[in-house]
Amino acid sequence: MSSWLALAVLGGLVGLDTTSFPQIMISRPVVAGALTGALFGRPLEGVAVGFLIEAFSLIVLPVGAARYPESGTAAVAATGAYLAAVPPGVHAGPLVLVLAFALGWERLTGSTVVLHRRNNGRILTRGPITALQLERRHLAAMTLDFLRGAAVSVGGGLLGYGLLAVATPYWQLNSLTTAAVLTVLAAAMVGTAVPLFGGLRSRRAPLLVGIVAGVALAMLLP
Amino acid sequence: MSGIRRIPWAVVLRAFAIQGSWNYETLTGTGFAFVILPELKRIYEDADALEAAVRRHETTFNSHPYLAPLALGAVIRMEQDGEDPAVIDRFKAALRGSLGTLGDQLVWAGWRPISVLFALALLLGGVPWWAAILLFLLLYNTLHLMLMVWGLRVGLSEGRQVADRLRASLVRTTQPRLMTTGSFAVGLVLTLVIARGVPALDPGPGPIWIALAAAAAVAGALWGERARRVGVAGVVALAVTGLALGVAT
Repeated sequence: MSSWLALAVLGGLVGLDTTSFPQIMISRPVVAGALTGALFGRPLEGVAVGFLIEAFSLIVLPVGAARYPESGTAAVAATGAYLAAVPPGVHAGPLVLVLAFALGWERLTGSTVVLHRRNNGRILTRGPITALQLERRHLAAMTLDFLRGAAVSVGGGLLGYGLLAVATPYWQLNSLTTAAVLTVLAAAMVGTAVPLFGGLRSRRAPLLVGIVAGVALAMLLP
Repeated sequence: MSGIRRIPWAVVLRAFAIQGSWNYETLTGTGFAFVILPELKRIYEDADALEAAVRRHETTFNSHPYLAPLALGAVIRMEQDGEDPAVIDRFKAALRGSLGTLGDQLVWAGWRPISVLFALALLLGGVPWWAAILLFLLLYNTLHLMLMVWGLRVGLSEGRQVADRLRASLVRTTQPRLMTTGSFAVGLVLTLVIARGVPALDPGPGPIWIALAAAAAVAGALWGERARRVGVAGVVALAVTGLALGVAT
């Protein structure tokens, strides 16, 4: 019970950080996943879940009034589900299942952001409000965002836990093959960030230098 | 007009919450009024004048949250100087588009993905997870805080001339450097992902899979957002395949 309460508090803070306050990026999936893992004494599993969701979130930009998936709370929910349903250790099969769940759940959490913003419009822009009302309603909107983050994190965690608990025993794909396919997918998603920085043509030299540095580092590392 | 006045730290703190009541009617308009309220209370001691000022600032406004302090500082300065409210309204309307676009390019499409890639590189390089996360948060938020305090200082100092200062500032010329740094970071992380696989998921992939991952990375680089959609479909297909094999046996 206390674990789910802790997950709710973390999810609330992550949901709040996404847009409302203070945007210090604990809402990045890799951070949210690691923090969730650390909260339950299994940080490496959280890092693995968060890393994969992060790879898929690199090119999702919160530009203007765009509607986008909310990957931070989805990372909290997915990591919570993984930790609750899967024995200690990073296992490729359950990792695929929880990633698929997170990529769906982040779309639903993104929809709750839209609903929350509509509600903000209702409580803040129905007519002129006084200075005191402004302060109270602004803080109320932030409180509701915290509660929204907590609800989608716990709701997603519970749902994901149920799905993983049922599905994981059926996973039969070889773990080496599964891990390799996950690497291929992660590489493709990191590749999608290239256009953010001008694409393959306009910034070819620094990209190649980065690749050479990566090769050197990979050879030096144990 | 120039000369920095005291930094209103209550405004700095509230500026972190400027998007706290984001809505589709006024965007961050009510947040803007919330942030400058402590200063409006200092300027307008008469209750009616204060309420009138709050109503003027509750209207539509939007900006990148980290660059909003430029507008916040400038508007506080204009209010302190007793500027005509119509001029302040026009000033806010003129500034909001450019602050949004500039912040999106500089932070959302530049500094943030670069900082994230830096964190991923550390994780893939074997740095302890807590150190990688801590370094990411420190690196990212150092610029975050500096940008906000700088914006408020410049806004308070320059008032309605803030647009000229913005045009002449380093902020305008930083983007090419960010793109170069970002390209380097992507190259580095790509290579480490391909060579070492997903962190904590041992062992790394074999030669054939390395070739496939490299090809996938090129496809991602060429197709961007479309590749993401294919990637999501790929995860779902992999999940279904893994489960279907189990059900069949």
